[in-house]
Amino acid sequence: MTDETSKKEEPSGNVMMGAVAAFAGWIVPGLGHLLMRRWSKAAVYFLCVGGLACAGLAMRGGVFAAGAEDLFDRLGFFADLGTGIFYFLAHVIQTAGPDVAHATGDYGTRMFAAAGMINLLTVLEAYEIGRGRRI
Amino acid sequence: MFFALTVSVTFAFLSKRGAIERVKYIAWAFLAFLLVAVGIGWLMYPFSR
Repeated sequence: MTDETSKKEEPSGNVMMGAVAAFAGWIVPGLGHLLMRRWSKAAVYFLCVGGLACAGLAMRGGVFAAGAEDLFDRLGFFADLGTGIFYFLAHVIQTAGPDVAHATGDYGTRMFAAAGMINLLTVLEAYEIGRGRRI
Repeated sequence: MFFALTVSVTFAFLSKRGAIERVKYIAWAFLAFLLVAVGIGWLMYPFSR
């Protein structure tokens, strides 16, 4: 490994950069990595999280609302919230509304929640990159 | 299958570095997802009636 390469891969960052990357990555999946110049990861995360979220909504999956009293619904809300902009635009993307009476809609609900959980993992990675703990 | 593919690709990019390692991981995780899904389907079949 040359000196140039090792300099390029040397992690550098701080808490503020990590927080900004994490927040950006939460709002728009992959944006945190884009800010950290991880182009391929940004594209992959946006496509995968966005694809899963849109597929879940297209299957007429349910989106959990805030302020639910049931513990499962509350967990679902936090999982859904992880998708960021897709959560806030869910009613725009899903014009027909949810239909969880059928199996397809139920699968859609799980897919949307899974997209949120996966995005939270990418947010953690964006934070670690911003902190300089990860290359 | 779409779910299995997207989750496999994301996990590969989260946990592996290098194109070859990622491709190997994607293939392994994708097949594991499918095998587990089919396996659980078979296990649940006797209880479906």
